[in-house]
Amino acid sequence: MNLPENTPPAVPFTSQPITPQSTPPIEHLPDGYDSAAPVTGKVRLEAAWGSTEGDEDLTVSDTPAPISDGQIFKQQYKQWNGELNPRWMRNWAILRHHLLGVFKKGHRPWGMPIRLYLLVVFIASLSDVGMTLLSGLIGDSGLHSIWGVSRDNLYGHVLGFFPRNMLYYPVVAALLVGGVISEDRQHGTSALYFSRPITRFDYVGMKFLSVAIIQALIILVTLALYYFAEIATMGRGWAWIIDTFPMFLATVLSALLLIFTYTSIGLSLSSVSKGKFFPGIALLSIVLGTKVLAFIVSNLFDREILYLISPYDCLAHVGQAIIGTQPTYDQYSWTWSLASIVAMNAIALYVLSTRVSSMEVTRE
Amino acid sequence: MQDDLIIKTTNLTKSYGPHVALNKLNLSVPKGATGLLGPNGAGKSTFLKTILGLIQTTEGEGTVLGLDIRTQGDAIRSRIGYMPEYDCLNPDMEAIHQVRYSGELLGMNPTVALARAHETLQYVGLGEQRYRNIGSYSTGMKQATKLACALVHDPELIIADEPSNGLDIAARNYMIETLTNAVKTGNRSVLMASHLMDDVERVCDNFILLHKGKLAAQGRIEDLKGFDREIEIHVWGGASRLEELMISRGMNVRREGRVMRILHEQEDTTSLILRCAADVGAQIRRMHEYEASLEDLFLSIMENLGYEVKSSEDLLASPSLARKVDAPEHMGGGSA
Repeated sequence: MNLPENTPPAVPFTSQPITPQSTPPIEHLPDGYDSAAPVTGKVRLEAAWGSTEGDEDLTVSDTPAPISDGQIFKQQYKQWNGELNPRWMRNWAILRHHLLGVFKKGHRPWGMPIRLYLLVVFIASLSDVGMTLLSGLIGDSGLHSIWGVSRDNLYGHVLGFFPRNMLYYPVVAALLVGGVISEDRQHGTSALYFSRPITRFDYVGMKFLSVAIIQALIILVTLALYYFAEIATMGRGWAWIIDTFPMFLATVLSALLLIFTYTSIGLSLSSVSKGKFFPGIALLSIVLGTKVLAFIVSNLFDREILYLISPYDCLAHVGQAIIGTQPTYDQYSWTWSLASIVAMNAIALYVLSTRVSSMEVTRE
Repeated sequence: MQDDLIIKTTNLTKSYGPHVALNKLNLSVPKGATGLLGPNGAGKSTFLKTILGLIQTTEGEGTVLGLDIRTQGDAIRSRIGYMPEYDCLNPDMEAIHQVRYSGELLGMNPTVALARAHETLQYVGLGEQRYRNIGSYSTGMKQATKLACALVHDPELIIADEPSNGLDIAARNYMIETLTNAVKTGNRSVLMASHLMDDVERVCDNFILLHKGKLAAQGRIEDLKGFDREIEIHVWGGASRLEELMISRGMNVRREGRVMRILHEQEDTTSLILRCAADVGAQIRRMHEYEASLEDLFLSIMENLGYEVKSSEDLLASPSLARKVDAPEHMGGGSA
């Protein structure tokens, strides 16, 4: 005799409280209850069902049938038979996500202050372009001698300390690297990447490239515009171009070195953090703090060697050497600065790779 | 039969220094829905990372969808949809673009990924909410978005890690229905790691139970529940006498007050119970087949394995009388 689980109880439900008179007579009292004990419906029910819950207030339960409103949303799984593209397309997706986020919605959401600052810096970086155009238009040779393309001005466009390497480029780098990797730790979005066929190298490589490209748009594009503005407004011929192009390429190389260094240090800081604030502030502290420290030591003790710990000064020293401007660091060779830059980047990339390798898929 | 397996491992071992996270795991997971069970530290996360091809195994081998977990991790991850337990969404992005980006990360063309994102968000019930920022979503909506990210490329295997984590009853039911629908109508396979046995029972046909990196049991949930059925009776009068008599007649009895459960070993067990009741003059007020929930079975297995679990649901928790529910050998258990 297999009774179903919801077998109705022997005593019918009633809306009235159950009284002793309503219970059937019994011949044997259950264990633990003697004949002298007061006979109440509650006790008998308890004895019968072995529970004290819900027996006291038995009422007729009348649950109305649910009213059908009709089905508006029908859940239907749709299959997809498309082909997945190879590795380069996945990497392009990461790059595109970060780059296009600066310009339009639907991609990586860069904050509005960051976008505004990038715009301001881009426009400010065009100051020498504007002045070159102006000098060409009004034909003022004095103005052109100050703002026109020269070794010093090319150097100044990329590596001049004030305002570009004090207010523009390090701040841009700090704003860009702030959340690029740290937000993946913060929001757990690293799981989205690594549960897909994305390697750690691709992940960090594309993030690096996207941050570097945004900086390059500001530094290199304005540098190129500056150079071409000179050609266009001053009517420079091939002779001038052949003469100055190596100088321009050396400046491009210096700019690439600067972008790479700021990005690698910034991303390594981003990879050790879960917030946006720390990487940005730490990058500014490293770039500007070491510069200030080295400057103070140089002035007080006439020792320039501390500039070797300053990324900016090392970049400037190497830049001066390859562009060919007057060197401002006299006490040691520029190769020391180059070695220092290599060491800084090596350390930064080591930290970056180690931290990215430890990023988890299952939990962070 | 081999073609029906989505995951197969042989002596799969993963060690972190002296700590053995997975210990000679031999698994055969068929197509369909499978629940991955186990207490904290059982090795579930390590197992998931291993089958995703994210970590190198120390020893042993395995295949997922016929691909080698040691050498074809990228190909495996292209064909798997992974829904992580924890947050993995950018709160400043709209759901539609988050899902689209998930598709692009798999190599989908941006236009195709966007179209597919619309479809999957519609499927998980966020069709009308897809242009809202994820930061403004409820937990249930975030879980649904995570599922949409996993489904965007129509994977053959969906790995859902605690899919109903933190959801209220309505959202939980919806999530379970959605996963079930993907299995039943979408013909996809699901590997679902969860602590909620009820959810696993509703979605999955099969289960894997890990304990301290070892396979404790695996097989069909129905088989596990079916091989050890009991009859539950509610006795009025003479319960102690009835219990003694039934035990003396060789029946396997557990008792809590006036409720007893007798192992349904023979076809005439119900007749024997009624005869015993008549002999001692006890009244049986209710008698029905008792089907243990998966949670009961899980708790019992864990107790047998030495894992102390307390649950209010464990009606008959007396350790001395707790029945043995080791999985039989043909289901992969027995030796744990």
